[in-house]
Formats: sequence, C-alpha cells, structure tokens
Amino acid sequence: MKQRARDQWSGILFALPFVIVWSVFTLWPVISGFIISLHNWDPLRGSEYIGFENYKYLFTSERFWNAFFNTFEFALIMIPLTLIFGLLFAFFLYFSKSKAKGFVEGALFFPYLLNVSIISLVWKWLFDPDFGLINESLKMIGISNAPQFLNHPVWVIPAIAFASAWWLMGYRMTIFRAALESQPVEIVEAAIIDGANKWQIMFKILFPLIRPQFLFAMVLTIISGFNVLGQVMIMTEGGPGRSSEVLALYLYREAFSYFRMGRAAAIGFILFVIIFIFTLIAMRYMGNENKG
Amino acid sequence: MRFKKFLLFGLLIVGLTIAFAAEKTTLYYTTLFHSGDAQAMEKIVQRINQESEDMYVILVQGAWENYYAQLINQVVAGNAPQVGIVHSNMFPSMKDALTPLNASPAGDLLAKAGFSREDFYTDVWDSSTFDGQHYGIPLDTHMWAMWYNKDIFEEAGLDPDDPPTNAAELEYAAQKIKEAGYYAVHFAEDGVARKLMRAWYIFYWQLGGELFDGNYTKATFNNEKGLQALEYLVNSVQEWNWNIPGSDGFKQFAAGELGILFAGNWYYYSAENAQINYGVAKIPTIFNSPATWGNSHNLVIPKQATSNPQIYEQSMELIRRITELSYMWGMFGGHSPAYNESRNSPELLNSPVWRKSLNVFSLMAEEGYLHYPPNHPKAAELENAIQVHVQQAYNGTLTPEEALAKAEEECNRILSEE
Repeated sequence: MKQRARDQWSGILFALPFVIVWSVFTLWPVISGFIISLHNWDPLRGSEYIGFENYKYLFTSERFWNAFFNTFEFALIMIPLTLIFGLLFAFFLYFSKSKAKGFVEGALFFPYLLNVSIISLVWKWLFDPDFGLINESLKMIGISNAPQFLNHPVWVIPAIAFASAWWLMGYRMTIFRAALESQPVEIVEAAIIDGANKWQIMFKILFPLIRPQFLFAMVLTIISGFNVLGQVMIMTEGGPGRSSEVLALYLYREAFSYFRMGRAAAIGFILFVIIFIFTLIAMRYMGNENKG
Repeated sequence: MRFKKFLLFGLLIVGLTIAFAAEKTTLYYTTLFHSGDAQAMEKIVQRINQESEDMYVILVQGAWENYYAQLINQVVAGNAPQVGIVHSNMFPSMKDALTPLNASPAGDLLAKAGFSREDFYTDVWDSSTFDGQHYGIPLDTHMWAMWYNKDIFEEAGLDPDDPPTNAAELEYAAQKIKEAGYYAVHFAEDGVARKLMRAWYIFYWQLGGELFDGNYTKATFNNEKGLQALEYLVNSVQEWNWNIPGSDGFKQFAAGELGILFAGNWYYYSAENAQINYGVAKIPTIFNSPATWGNSHNLVIPKQATSNPQIYEQSMELIRRITELSYMWGMFGGHSPAYNESRNSPELLNSPVWRKSLNVFSLMAEEGYLHYPPNHPKAAELENAIQVHVQQAYNGTLTPEEALAKAEEECNRILSEE
C-alpha cells in the first residue's frame, strides 16, 4: 500500500514540470481567452461583461459563416492531401531501390524547412497570371483559358490548400518513413511469400502497423489545417472578395485591425472547440485500439 | 599578475561605459515601418545616437499589421515606448492611447519644441487635432502618383515628356500602348483589394464624392458619382482591356510590360532597381477636380505609465530631432517630409529621389490633391466592407451597381452597431 502511494507520488512528481508549463502556457490562455470572449474587451476605456453576446453576433453574421465554411473547405482539401501524399511518398521511398532515394527524400522534405512567408510568396509568384509558371505551363499544353487560381472565388481555396500540402507533406512523409523503417522486415517478406501484392502490403499490413504515427501526423495536420493564416494572408489577403477569408484571418482582423478583442477571442474559442472535436474524432477512429 | 592587470583594465572600461551610459537616458521608439522605410528610419536614429550626448534611442520596427493593437496593449500594460508612429486616419481609434502634446504632464510640449502649425503641411497637422487637443507631429505625406514607362511611351509614338493629364489623354495613351503590345494601365499597384479600393476612391473624390456623411451615421457613396467612378475602374479591365483583373502592376511595371501605373512614392526604389526608364507625373484629372489617395505618418508620444515631466520632455526632444532630420526620410525612404524646413533642405532638393519622383509628390501635396481615407474608429472594418465588393466588381463577379449596394449595406450595418 505504502509502496503504491509512493509510486503514485513519484509519478505525479515526474509529470509536474510538464503539467505546470502546460497549465501556464496552454490551459490558462484558453481559459483566459474564453473569459475575454465574454466581454466587450477594451482595456483602454474599461471592459464590460456581455455574456454570450459575441457568440450570438458571430452565429448570426454572414461574414463569420463565410469564414467558417472557407476554413472547412481548406481543411477538407489540405488535410487529406498532405497525409495521402506524405504516406504515398513514404511507401514509394520504402520500396524504392534507387540510388537517388536520399536526394528525393531531401527534396520532398525541403519545403518544410522554409518559412510560411517564403512558401506563400513563391506560390503567389507561381500562380501569377502574367509571370507564373503554372498558367504558363498550362498554356504550353494548350489550356490558354485556365482560371487565375488566386483570383477566382472557386479555385482560390483549393490552390492555397495545394500549396500548403506541398509545404507540409515532407515532414509527415519523414514521420511515416521512420515508422516504416522500424517495422520488422520479416513481415513484408512473409507477405510477399504468401503472394500479397504491393497495395496489399502497404494498406493491409504496413499501414495498420504505423497507425500511431499516422494519428500523430493527422492531429498535427488537423491543427495546421484549421489554423491556416499566413498562406491566406500573404497570397490573397482573404480575396477575391472574401472567398478565402478563413477563421484565423477573420480573428486576426477583428483583433488587430478592428481592436475588438472580445469578438476575436470568441472566434478563437470556436476555433479551439472545432480543432478539439476533430482531434477527438481522429483519436477515436485512428487511435490505438488495444488500450489496456 | 598580468591577468590581474587585464581584469582591472576590463573593469575600468566597464565602469567607464556604465558611467558614461548613465548620463544618457534610454528612449524606446517603435515604428510600423518595414523594408526600405525601416532602413531609412534606422539611418536617422543612428545619426541621433551618434550626435546625442543626453539620450540613447532603441528603435524597434517591423510588424505593421498588428502595430496599433500592440501599441494599445503596451499602453495598457504601462510599458509603452516613449515615441511611436500613427497614421493620420488612425487618430480617432488611437487618441485615447496617446499623450496630448499641448497638454501633457510636462505642459505644452509643442511650445517647448518650438513647433507650430505653419511649420508643416497644414492638412497633416490638422489631422491630429481633436477637441482642441493635438496628438501628433507630422512626419511625411505619402500618396499615389502616376508612374509611366518612357521607353514604352516612345515605342507607342507618345511623347515621354508629356504624360497624360486628363481622361482623353489617358485614354489615347492607353490605346496607343495597347497597340504597341503592352499592358496599358494598372490603376492599383499590385491589385489587391485594398489597392483597388484606393483607385476607386481617387475617381470618386475627383467627382467630388464623399464616402460617409459628416458624422459617420451612414455611407454616402452608392450614388451616380460612386457608380461612374467604379464603372471607370471596372471598364479599364472588363471593356477596354487596359489590363487583366488579378494582375500585379508592380511586377508588370518592373518587368517593362506596363505603360502606366498608379502607385505610391515607395515604388521609387523598386523602379530604380528594375532599371526602368520611368517618369513620375501627377495623377491625371480624369473627372472634375484633381485628387489622389494618400495618408501621413505622425510622431506621437503614447501614454506613459509615469507622469514624470522629464520623460515627456525627452520624448518631445527626440521627436524634434527626428523632425529636423526628416529630409533623410525623403532621401532614403522616398517620402515627402511634412516639415517645411526638411522638405526645402538642400540635401533633399539635390538628391536623385527628389529630382526623379519626390518633387511631383510634393507638388501634389501643395496643390491639394491629397485625400485621406476614412478616419473613424471603425475605418478598418468599413474599408474592408468597401474593398471586397470593389474587387468583385473589378473581377466581373458583381456588377458595379450590386457592388456599391452591398458595400453600402454592410457599411451602414457596421455604423449602426454598438
């Protein structure tokens, strides 16, 4: 009994540094953000408690719902793209016998080392209707009336999502690569002897084995997907019109352009809830199923 | 033994440095300048630090997007810089966070610095006066003018020394440039929504339009003039094909692909670096009277946590020195100094930037071209409501009538909210 109590205490003691840091830098900001969202926050002239007015305003605001759906559209395109490409390239490198394997891996990982501003400026240039490589290449293959991707209400979000997937995919690929390399090679060999083809080996054998790493990458990508800000800000400033104004950009404007911290905090809290729910769903369906 | 000597010598140096530094007061000066502007301000501050015996200035520059929110937070936290920068149209939003210079804890700082309205561009000076309180010292005016490619003009059979000054001349020039195989005109720098809105402002102001009524109770631009102005902007791409929607005028001009560009004085260094043979001219008077979009930077003293008069006096002294050196702001930042003495200084008047571009901007300021964007606490939100609809009209996804009606509706809703 005594021993057990001691074990419990030592466990708590070991966890304490992280718990303290997490509480100060994560839990408290979330709580304090929620408190701010219940106020008409104006530290200069005095803040006023207004209950859920900010939330009521947002849920009846066309601009909020536009940003909400834009965020979902972005996330629904960018998250699968990033994960699928990351996974496919990891498998490709896993099975590849080529000498250029290292170079290919480096090249795929490289974009992740760059800052969001650089990525956004590069892709803005690629999508430029006059000087961009993309429209120019499309012209070469006979598509002369290709849309201006960043200036088209329908194409703008998919275009930014694609650029983001290209940017973030390399890191996910590296996670999957490491996970694959750590699997016993005998399993694959046995599968080959049993007559399994590459697809079966990939998705029936290897993929279930790297589920924990896939979950980790998925949670990371869900957070990036819903929190998108830099790419949109630099590439389109939320345009054309408000076709690419996402929640984080709307939050940013409410806070730093319109100085309405209360409303911005409410958007932030809604964003937090969305990410939290999706992370839970991911954990539920992708999580480790043999929990003790 | 030797080591001891070194140690003593080191300590002596450190001690002297501390003693010497102790005589200097450290002042924090934050700005929202970036790239070329930031470098120009750095030069000014470096010079002040070299020449001052009583102050040492720590300059913090950068993030312009959240600068104002940060400044407010710094004031609230009692940790404000001694000197900051505020755009003229931001005073209504920011004045509660600023020290009235004529009624500071150290008394009338304007009198102490020897500054009066007549020493500056008076419009800019007036933009920071509210209810008899004066909040800022004008640093500059910046605005849009017309940049044109002289080589393209020549190739198109136009006189490179006689740029268009009115609608008929502009349309003739545009036609000629188009025939020569170039993009003719870009009215809005890099073509993002807020720049398209500025282009529309210019046309609307030239028609004598007002964006809002005197007390900002409602939008007043959804009318015949507003429509005429927006149709002109939209027609330039949708009807006359002077350019294409979604294009970047900065890039086109720098690549030598564009004849005429409406852009701000900050474009000087880009045009120089691109080695374009360009000219700068006043914005053509397309409608009834001359007008251009512009704004100004002002030096301010944010509210300090202390009421110690010395801090305010020293902050004002720093503002005075920056103002006196603001001819460098013209030379290295490409802005037109608001302080008359700086604007007329021989260093500036003999510099290439003045000869090639700034003289035109200065002339426009003197001739009353300059119109400020809305100056209201909700200005940023109102402008967002306008720009997103102007951009959609420009792209052809809304008719000009629909765009104005929607912008008006949203602006009125914003103004009616608490």
